Amino acid sequence: MKAEYLMRRAFYSFLAFMVSLTLTFVLLHLMPGDYLHSILPYLAEKNPDAARMFREQFGLNRSISEQYLLYVVNVVRGNWGYSFLYGLPVLAVIEEKLRWTLVILFPSTVLSILIGMAVGAYSGWRNGSKTDLSVLNFMIFVGAVPSYWWAMLLILIFGFHLNLFPLGGYASIEALDVGVRISDVLRHAALPVTALTISSVPGTYYLMRNSTLQTTGEEYVLTARSKGLREMEILRHHALKNAMLPMVTVIALELAQMIMGSVFVETIFSWPGLGLLTFEALRVRDLPLLQGIFLMDTLMVIFANIAADLSYPLIDPRVKVGENV
Amino acid sequence: MSILAINDLKVQFPTPEGLVKAVNSVDLELEEGERLGMIGETGSGKTVLGLAVVRLLSGAEVEGNIEYRGKKLLLLDEAEMRKLRGREISVIFQSPNSLNPVLKVGDQIAESIRLVGCSNRQDAKKKAVQAMEAVGMPDAELWADRYPHQFSGGMKERAMIALGLACDPRLIIADEPTKGLDANIKAQVVELIRDVTTDKSLLFITHDLSAAAQICDRIAVMYCGEIVEVGRTEEIFANPLHPYTEGLFRSLPIMGMKAIRGASPSLIDIPSGCRFHPRCDRPCENCAKAHPPLVEAESSPGHLMRCFQHDRG
Repeated sequence: MKAEYLMRRAFYSFLAFMVSLTLTFVLLHLMPGDYLHSILPYLAEKNPDAARMFREQFGLNRSISEQYLLYVVNVVRGNWGYSFLYGLPVLAVIEEKLRWTLVILFPSTVLSILIGMAVGAYSGWRNGSKTDLSVLNFMIFVGAVPSYWWAMLLILIFGFHLNLFPLGGYASIEALDVGVRISDVLRHAALPVTALTISSVPGTYYLMRNSTLQTTGEEYVLTARSKGLREMEILRHHALKNAMLPMVTVIALELAQMIMGSVFVETIFSWPGLGLLTFEALRVRDLPLLQGIFLMDTLMVIFANIAADLSYPLIDPRVKVGENV
Repeated sequence: MSILAINDLKVQFPTPEGLVKAVNSVDLELEEGERLGMIGETGSGKTVLGLAVVRLLSGAEVEGNIEYRGKKLLLLDEAEMRKLRGREISVIFQSPNSLNPVLKVGDQIAESIRLVGCSNRQDAKKKAVQAMEAVGMPDAELWADRYPHQFSGGMKERAMIALGLACDPRLIIADEPTKGLDANIKAQVVELIRDVTTDKSLLFITHDLSAAAQICDRIAVMYCGEIVEVGRTEEIFANPLHPYTEGLFRSLPIMGMKAIRGASPSLIDIPSGCRFHPRCDRPCENCAKAHPPLVEAESSPGHLMRCFQHDRG
């Protein structure tokens, strides 16, 4: 039963992956402009031979359908192509940037999930109270402000005026002499992590507040009250576990989105992560790299969903994976 | 000595449609060790009355006086009230969703036991298993480690009863514990409640006359938020005085299943005079104008009812 379920799950995941691959391929090739014209506009015009050689080298002289078939075959084999910009295998480029992205995205995602859930649970449990309403309004305000605005505000206050943190980058200029030190990187990561955390707390907060709110009217909560439990004990022991159930998928997807990086925040802080890479690749029409980044995102979302589904039985005894699917 | 004395209790819920008067000037006394059945249709206010005693109604305006062993419950602060819940006064709810779906049943019972001061987790669990055995659950140790969805309806109700009795309370409020159970299971649950409450005081809220008759010493009939008749069980069965009580008996399957005409009125817009007069078979002209008081019937002492017809003899 379980093996059959996993097989079916794997098949559908593969299908989703192929559909996503095809769609991104089509969309990216519909984009106007190409690499040569955006990075070396004169070369393309003045030296047609060089342009031709470039096209041949990357197989751009072949028909689109041929390119598509080659791409599919190569991806399945584990070859995700070469980046125009870096001249390196796409996977190698992504892997290098992913490390930097995780340095800021991992702490900010974990922090925003923890803060969002804790505040959301309290707010939802005390729904309608003054605390709840002021927190809710505050969160609506925070959520309405885009991440790049927080980023610029933090740079202005803590970087420029107070001069507490660097304005951008991932290491000081001394790193050239003494090498990259962890403390130095952490100092550079502080502001981006803060900006990312602030901008992603409200999303988790709304969901958790709503989810907790729905448990307050449940009959088992009344039973818990009739036992003589304190309100906070009821929240912790009875409501929270039930309110967590709808959050599992959300958390899994947020963790998956971690690897996508943040285009805005990484660009503003010149943080050499996947978000900045995505922006760069898009700007110069580095199609294999873009395609690779999107495929990576697809894979992560697929894995996150599977992970969420497999972890449901761990927190909800009523769910059995592989039955009634 | 009375364990519970309710005086002039009023419970109202403000809603956008108007004020819902769920309980209207109810006076009720429960003797220590007495088992009282509270009977009425859905919406008669009987459940609200039960929850008002333990102060578990949210969004309600509660007025009057509820005295439990000399303590005025409505004047206690929340912490004092919390100490009474579970260990002195416990509630047995109707089952389907009253147990937490994601916690083991044994743990939910053990949680109550630990509140009373049994700090050791293992001991509490052991006592929880004993509590489940006490309500006739076979293989209690096994079932204590299972989740509510694995229980049948009857088993869940047994678990709820075990939970209600876990801390050895003096007063138990059972809120329609037999609702939605098969006839056979219902009979077992009624028997169980009767057996486990022999040395307790019980407020048994139900719409099931026969269940109340099997368990209770006295029966109070509620209609439209007020008590219309109260007396010893045998008295009520042998000699129902209020036309509504008579109607309830006539609607029993063995008595021919004749329904009381009309529907119970909305608790927002309560009929004037006698609240039952629009549905009564033999109203007099006074019934529509004046509200009959709850008086002792001349023929049988201790048997109170709220009807002009009998008042006049």
